[in-house]
Amino acid sequence: MWRYVLRRLLQAIPVFIGTTLLIYAMVFALPGDPIQALAGDKPIPANVLSTLRDRYNLNDPLLVQYGKYMWGLLQGNLGENYDGQKVADMLGGRWTVTAQLALTAWIFELVIGIALGVWAGLRRGKVADTLVLGGTTLLIAVPVFVLGYTAQILFGLHWQIFPTAGTDDGWPMSYLLPGMVLGSLGLSYVARLTRTSLAENLRADYVRTANAKGLSRARVVGRHALRNSLIPVVTYLGVDFGNLMGGAIVTEGIFNLPGIGQQVFQSIQLKEGPVVVGAVTVLVLIFLLVNLVVDLLYGLLDPRIRYE
Amino acid sequence: MTSLRDAGTRRGARGKVAALAAVALAASLGLSACGGSGGKSDGVFTAGHSEPDHLVPGNTTSSYSFDVLSGLFDNLEGLTKDGKAYNLAAESISTTDQKVWTIKVRGGQKFHNGEPVTAQSFADAWNNAAYGPNAYSANDYFSHIQGYDAMNPEDEKAKPKADKLSGVQVVDPSTLKVTLTAPFNQFPLLLTYPAFAPMPKAGLQDLKSFENHPIGNGPYMMSGNWERNKQIKLVPFPGYTGPRKPKNKGVIWKSYSSADSAYTDLRAGKIDVLQTIPAAKVPEAKRLLGDRFLPRKMGTMDYLGFPLWDERFANPDLRKAISMVIDRQGVNKAVYNGDYFPADSLLPSIIEGHRANACGELCTFDPAKAKTLFDKAGGFKGTMELYFSNAQPTYYQWMQIVANSLKQNLGIQDVQFRQVPASDYFSMLNKHEEKGPYRQNWEADYPSAQNYLENMWTTNANRMGWKSKEFDDLIAKANSSADHQRALQLYNQAEDVAIREMPMIPLWTWAGQGGRSSHVDNVTITAWSTGLIVNEVTVK
Amino acid sequence: MKTIDPGAADPGPPGAEPEPADAGAGAGAPGTAAAAVAAAGGGLGRASLWDDAWRELRRRWVFWASAGFLLLVALMAAVPRLFTSTGVNEGCDPNDAKLGPSGAHWFGTDLAGCDYYAHVVHGARPTLLIGVAVTLFAFVIALVFGMLAGYYGGLLDALIARLTDVFFGLPFVLGATVILVAFPSHGIGAMTLVLVLLGWTTMIRIMRAQVIAVRDADYVQAARLLGASDRRIMARHILPNAIAPVIVVATLNVGNVIAGEATLDFLGVGLQYPKVSWGLQLNLAQDSFVDHPHLLIFPAVFLSATVLSFLMLGDAARDALDPKLR
Repeated sequence: MWRYVLRRLLQAIPVFIGTTLLIYAMVFALPGDPIQALAGDKPIPANVLSTLRDRYNLNDPLLVQYGKYMWGLLQGNLGENYDGQKVADMLGGRWTVTAQLALTAWIFELVIGIALGVWAGLRRGKVADTLVLGGTTLLIAVPVFVLGYTAQILFGLHWQIFPTAGTDDGWPMSYLLPGMVLGSLGLSYVARLTRTSLAENLRADYVRTANAKGLSRARVVGRHALRNSLIPVVTYLGVDFGNLMGGAIVTEGIFNLPGIGQQVFQSIQLKEGPVVVGAVTVLVLIFLLVNLVVDLLYGLLDPRIRYE
Repeated sequence: MTSLRDAGTRRGARGKVAALAAVALAASLGLSACGGSGGKSDGVFTAGHSEPDHLVPGNTTSSYSFDVLSGLFDNLEGLTKDGKAYNLAAESISTTDQKVWTIKVRGGQKFHNGEPVTAQSFADAWNNAAYGPNAYSANDYFSHIQGYDAMNPEDEKAKPKADKLSGVQVVDPSTLKVTLTAPFNQFPLLLTYPAFAPMPKAGLQDLKSFENHPIGNGPYMMSGNWERNKQIKLVPFPGYTGPRKPKNKGVIWKSYSSADSAYTDLRAGKIDVLQTIPAAKVPEAKRLLGDRFLPRKMGTMDYLGFPLWDERFANPDLRKAISMVIDRQGVNKAVYNGDYFPADSLLPSIIEGHRANACGELCTFDPAKAKTLFDKAGGFKGTMELYFSNAQPTYYQWMQIVANSLKQNLGIQDVQFRQVPASDYFSMLNKHEEKGPYRQNWEADYPSAQNYLENMWTTNANRMGWKSKEFDDLIAKANSSADHQRALQLYNQAEDVAIREMPMIPLWTWAGQGGRSSHVDNVTITAWSTGLIVNEVTVK
Repeated sequence: MKTIDPGAADPGPPGAEPEPADAGAGAGAPGTAAAAVAAAGGGLGRASLWDDAWRELRRRWVFWASAGFLLLVALMAAVPRLFTSTGVNEGCDPNDAKLGPSGAHWFGTDLAGCDYYAHVVHGARPTLLIGVAVTLFAFVIALVFGMLAGYYGGLLDALIARLTDVFFGLPFVLGATVILVAFPSHGIGAMTLVLVLLGWTTMIRIMRAQVIAVRDADYVQAARLLGASDRRIMARHILPNAIAPVIVVATLNVGNVIAGEATLDFLGVGLQYPKVSWGLQLNLAQDSFVDHPHLLIFPAVFLSATVLSFLMLGDAARDALDPKLR
């Protein structure tokens, strides 16, 4: 078990370096000059430019820049952007917003997704099943920004059930609608996974045995079938949390939530390498970590899997 | 000017890149629950804007910084509401040749820390801002003053030969003598620019704490430090002796990360003044705010420039033809809800020296005439590439209308967009890498025709590669003229030359749309760097 | 044998889900491998599998509805003149901008005063072209490298697996934005490239898992003993038995690519004038949705229906190809 964890951690190192280097190289490859970008339309005297470029290591070759950055990172320093703000400060408050949003979406996926999946799975081939399948396919098909705007116009402006945008009402009110929009895709997958898995398990031998023993339907479903059915669902839910953290650019934009995605999107346009790389680095770390945890969890849930 | 979404103007690019359309912008979040109404009854009001970048006067060109700085500092010259210079910290300003200026600093003025304001306070602050290695963002504004070149050598590795402006002499504690590189009669207006504020000795010794807690000579002083991404609180300075006496008990500049949330707070009465309401919310704001909706003309104007080094654009008739197929009214209606002002001159209407209809039929939509001119010029070969930045979604929208018209009315089949990241846009233009018409705008540093014409059309400064000795001479003559009216005439003559050759097409002037709560009154938002006139606001 | 079951599209195991952000971390992760193997189904004979599948498909209305709609969209993409006589960006007048639907303009007009119906029709081509092209490229990459990695294993496998992980860890929208912002004049070609670059990982994992599941099968061993070359084994024995789930995922993938492309257009870093696409239309209109809902509705309906059709087609194909469900 521990050897497996160690091996996975070691494996994660090249992936981590590869991903951060890739994103660093991509930001580095962006044409244009970040210092000029901050100055806008005003010419900058050559010596001012060169002073600033030196200050932010912009004259170094890519690998040296990356090295310096990683060295700083190891010391817990995310660096500063080109007008001197600390990246950690810029991102700090934003993580809470993104985390709250991701969590809301995730809970929504978990509760509603599994409930719908069980409902459909128990009534396979009936109207409920068809409804759930059709509805979830539709949710997957509608792009998130269409869903977002539609939800905002209908629930926010028209019926005024939820606030239209912003974080003024705090958690949970401000995050409910965006959370549902963000979680709709995952919800569809969770519902369909649960449904299929449950339906399959209900046909399995051990369920037949349990039924034959005369156990109540609730007990058969609750204790035996559902428990086994949830293994792939848990896997999916675990991994999806990482995705939700990183995938909220559009939702954050529509609902005007000052989260990580918004910051990174702006920083890309301003060519603020340190901010982009800083945020993506943290996202990749979360992603890798969650993956590891899920793999371990998978083993706990399903004793047939052994880690060597 | 002081806008939450003045994207793409010449101010720093921070806060200009509209993330998702105009949905959200600017840096970091600052939406703490508190801060809003510091208590309506105590005479303090709250204004919303984006987070400033710096508060050392010479190190910022951000209008959000200006919001705060204009309360904290009194420059030598101030601006009236209609854009005229008047003596603020100066007692008098005089010149005989428009090149050497003698400025008397009014006596008895004090900084917030009690230090007296002298000629030296100005000289020190300017030297600090103009010194190349300090890398201040408003560095370039000092280039009119003699000795600037020695502090900012062309060669980037060279060490500057001087750390003081040789053109700035402190004659005695109350007299400053400034020698410029060339005669320049608009110098008093230049002195209104926030970078020309004075600084106390204490501030220059410790710039780090000065940034957090600027010590100025203006009507307001800091109450506590700059609470980053949250707010800056200003209270009246009891020792203030100048003409801008506060009519309120203070102002809180609250930082917003998005124009939308600032607007929401204005609607909810959590803030009292917002200088720019996001475009998408303007129709609603007009309805909801009624007479508390504050529209204003602005000094920001959009232009379409041509790369004249490309032979295909060398013929003025072609450029005029393009100007005449742009349906400025149509764009205004389709993209800006009819709120903007189609251009009829190279200058915005609020600038002294603007003549109505100076551009005449060249700025009027007339496809038939345009086509005749276009054919006369020999048409256009190859791809028509249109350049603009991604700072604002509206650029794309109106470029589409321009492109359609080029295709429809001039028969140019291959029209392509080149939407360049805001971060690269200006360096691309400066390197002359564009291969077709490009969008640019200008927002006045100070309200003068000279500021527009000289910076955008003179041979040394323009981006089009346009060379006109006639134009340059007229501007130089105007700059050295002692008579104001004569100077305006000469500026207008220069403008006519630029219209005749049309190296850059004027498009439209922006409109500013602000709002106030019912708790405040006498809210004036100017089109200049002074923005909101804070000291005149009254609190109910 | 399953009876006709409208709408009973099966989501299948997680490994086969059409989502760009797929579950499963490393290639060595038990979750992915197990799931993908499950998706593989058994190694049925080729002819009978495809015949059965076709027979199964023919009977489902979902299949016919999706195929029918896609045919319509494909027709719009191929010969837009059949639907409208107005060309791209033709006959626009800014003074007629943002008009609601009427007899003259069935879908109203857009922000530049162009006929919205004509633009919705013309929007089909880039959308569909990119969706199909990206999937084809990713499919080929998956077949070749997934096969090599799965068949030979060892260092090559480890290398491909790590590389897959690296690209997998990259958030899609962020990665694409960085690249597209760097190269501003992006047409269909550039968009395809970016979407392939960031989207090749899903299929390759499934292919690899498939190959691993099949490579030690008896008939492969037999072929090897008979002296067949590696290339022959891969092409004749493994490929036909491993490809079915990859085809299913590819079908689903077209829908996802289209949605992804539209998202990038929507964010303003994708296609641009003079191209017309549904995502771009939604991008341009986003500030006007509240006052002019027709600008949202028409492109959104076509976009969603197209994605939906690909998803349902993929689902139907999986049901038909997955013998476990029979």
